[in-house]
Amino acid sequence: MIDAMKLRILQGDPIVHDVHGAVMPELYRGLPSIDAGSCPGGCRRCEDACPTRAIRTAPLRVDLGVCVFCPRCAEACPQKKIRFTADYHLAASDRNALVVDASTAAIRPEKAEKKIRSYFGRSLKLRQVSAGGCNGCELELNALGNVNFDMGRYGIDFVASPRHADGIVITGPITENMADALELCYEAVPRPRIVILCGACAISGGVFADSSKLQRRFLETTRADLYVPGCPPHPLTFITGVLDWLDRKS
Amino acid sequence: MISLATKNAERFLLADIPVLGRDAFCASVTEGLSEGMRLISLFPLRDDAPEKLAAVLAETSSAGLHIVAGDFSGRMELESFTPRFPHANYLECELAERHGYTIHAHPRLRPVRSRTFPGGAAYDPCRLEGDEVHEVAVGPIHAGVIEPGHFRFQCHGELVYSLEILLGYQHRGIEALFAGASPEKRVLLAESIAGDTAVGHAYAHCKAIEHLSGAHLPFRAQIIRSIAEELERIAMHLSGLIGVSNDIGLAIGASSYGRLRTLVINSLAELCGSRFGRGLFVYGGVRFDVSRETAGRVIEKLETVRRDVTEINDFLFSSTGALLRFEHTGVVTKETAAQIGMVGFAARASGVEMDTRTHRPYGAYRYFPVPLLTIGSGDVFSRSRLRAMEIDESLRFVFEQLENLPGGEFRVPVPPISPGSGAVSLVEGWRGEIVHSVFTDESGGIMQYRVKDPSFCNWWGLSMALRKTAISDFPVCNKSFDLSYAGHDL
Repeated sequence: MIDAMKLRILQGDPIVHDVHGAVMPELYRGLPSIDAGSCPGGCRRCEDACPTRAIRTAPLRVDLGVCVFCPRCAEACPQKKIRFTADYHLAASDRNALVVDASTAAIRPEKAEKKIRSYFGRSLKLRQVSAGGCNGCELELNALGNVNFDMGRYGIDFVASPRHADGIVITGPITENMADALELCYEAVPRPRIVILCGACAISGGVFADSSKLQRRFLETTRADLYVPGCPPHPLTFITGVLDWLDRKS
Repeated sequence: MISLATKNAERFLLADIPVLGRDAFCASVTEGLSEGMRLISLFPLRDDAPEKLAAVLAETSSAGLHIVAGDFSGRMELESFTPRFPHANYLECELAERHGYTIHAHPRLRPVRSRTFPGGAAYDPCRLEGDEVHEVAVGPIHAGVIEPGHFRFQCHGELVYSLEILLGYQHRGIEALFAGASPEKRVLLAESIAGDTAVGHAYAHCKAIEHLSGAHLPFRAQIIRSIAEELERIAMHLSGLIGVSNDIGLAIGASSYGRLRTLVINSLAELCGSRFGRGLFVYGGVRFDVSRETAGRVIEKLETVRRDVTEINDFLFSSTGALLRFEHTGVVTKETAAQIGMVGFAARASGVEMDTRTHRPYGAYRYFPVPLLTIGSGDVFSRSRLRAMEIDESLRFVFEQLENLPGGEFRVPVPPISPGSGAVSLVEGWRGEIVHSVFTDESGGIMQYRVKDPSFCNWWGLSMALRKTAISDFPVCNKSFDLSYAGHDL
């Protein structure tokens, strides 16, 4: 028992106290900042360099729901018009808000409707469904429960059963082999229920968008409430997105 | 054996692979297997012409690899190697499933990435009949935040007599995406095979392409790559220790290891911006150099890890409660591990001496060998204790390299890929041996891309470990193996 207490003292104070104000490593790639001003006629170097076709020119815009936050567009641009900032606030409640252009200063989700905030604002139980995820998003969602991020302090937890859940978090591009399980799981969640799409694969198919082994029909009939970009999203991107959506003053 | 002899990632001409008649092919493969070689890959030279089949074998007493092809035109049937050489099992099942080969005398054909056979017939796991017998089915969706898979237990009381593991839920068809992908996208695909092994798979992929291009990497790039690989190893071994602590209810252990894992993945993020090492690997080296300041920040974090992990390990491995749960639980004997073809730390924890860094060294490991560690008991204790020891060795390696980074370039341009060529690239990922086999066509484009993740070999080990084990020990056994579903499913 003394040894256990020694370990507890060794833990120190590892928690991120201010989830909105954390400092990321220098090379971290968050919200892209795009310089206004036109690109030289016909230049599409960034489009050609992007491995997931997330970026388009005329006007220059990046779809964060497709972006995997590799730096290839920033490297390819001869005028250095694209720069990834340290801002990890990337989540949005409107799919279109993920398309970033020169006018985008920041992204925040719209507040959830009053009923959702009233029910889930202080206690949100989520069932995660790995629908073809590579395990990157899964690891970052697991990290949200560790001593650094501790989402439990906001009343947010992952639960074992959809019956105990207020909504689902989908990771992965939704493979054919997981399509039925995903639908069964969602149907088992009592209403009102929410859907969070975590990561580029869930939002748009990501790296796997061209694969013939996907089955994304679930998203044609079910509206997502929150989109969390990243490949994988940093835990702080997820937690600040959920807190802002629930209008929690953290 | 009649074959093309090659080595880890050595470029060869496809035309030099002997293409034998079916009987001569089977005889050649059997000869290799009888000499103790391991069958590490079995796939058609081209997916659209599956009659020409290639087998890749790895020598156990030397670093050699052998490739031989067989022409099965007219009759795609094969006599199973599995009865004599069990480790060929899933490679043959995969061949039947993907390419329609008929495997004669296979002890138990089963789908690999589906719940049904091609054609739609359902696969039924083995059933146990009798009194006080029950069947437990878990998944695909599991209680925690974890990848999906189906586990079917046949139990008699509390003891598991048979565990069958049915995967394929994560099947994304990633191998087929390599052929049509731009060079930019290929590295990204490799990083996404298994997100927790982004560095390992990116390394195997880049190494294959670089050898196919005849590129020579600068020393500094090789060192930085190996630093990233060892950081990934430390991070995921810590993740495994979090898992086994959690599953025996030792929260202080789980949360302590968790704090340290954050420091390690934040170190990877210092190197390249991503906590998983994504974006670091490029053809010809690494995308970002490691400055003195960056090295300093990483060393500072790792010093905390080195100091604290010793305390936490001492706590865990001297805790009576933990030892009671870990020791003699989920045993896989050395003989079984070798027979079924297990790789990586799980094999080493059963006493099998096998590590690509030692046996087929590549990059920095050619010059800075890492000790090969084994423990003989093959239980949850040995798999966990071995990982703790590997963390210590990897930390030692990373400090040594960071404190003595050689000068020079960190990235060089890469010539075009050779046409009509191939390479089999192996890397010791944190779970074990990763194999990327690449063949190119006449214009230097990718004609065939095959991946063998270490999990493909080791899931069977988990099934074996559960025999005559209490079902309540399943979670801790599962975490002690710490296998990838996505890496298996591809």
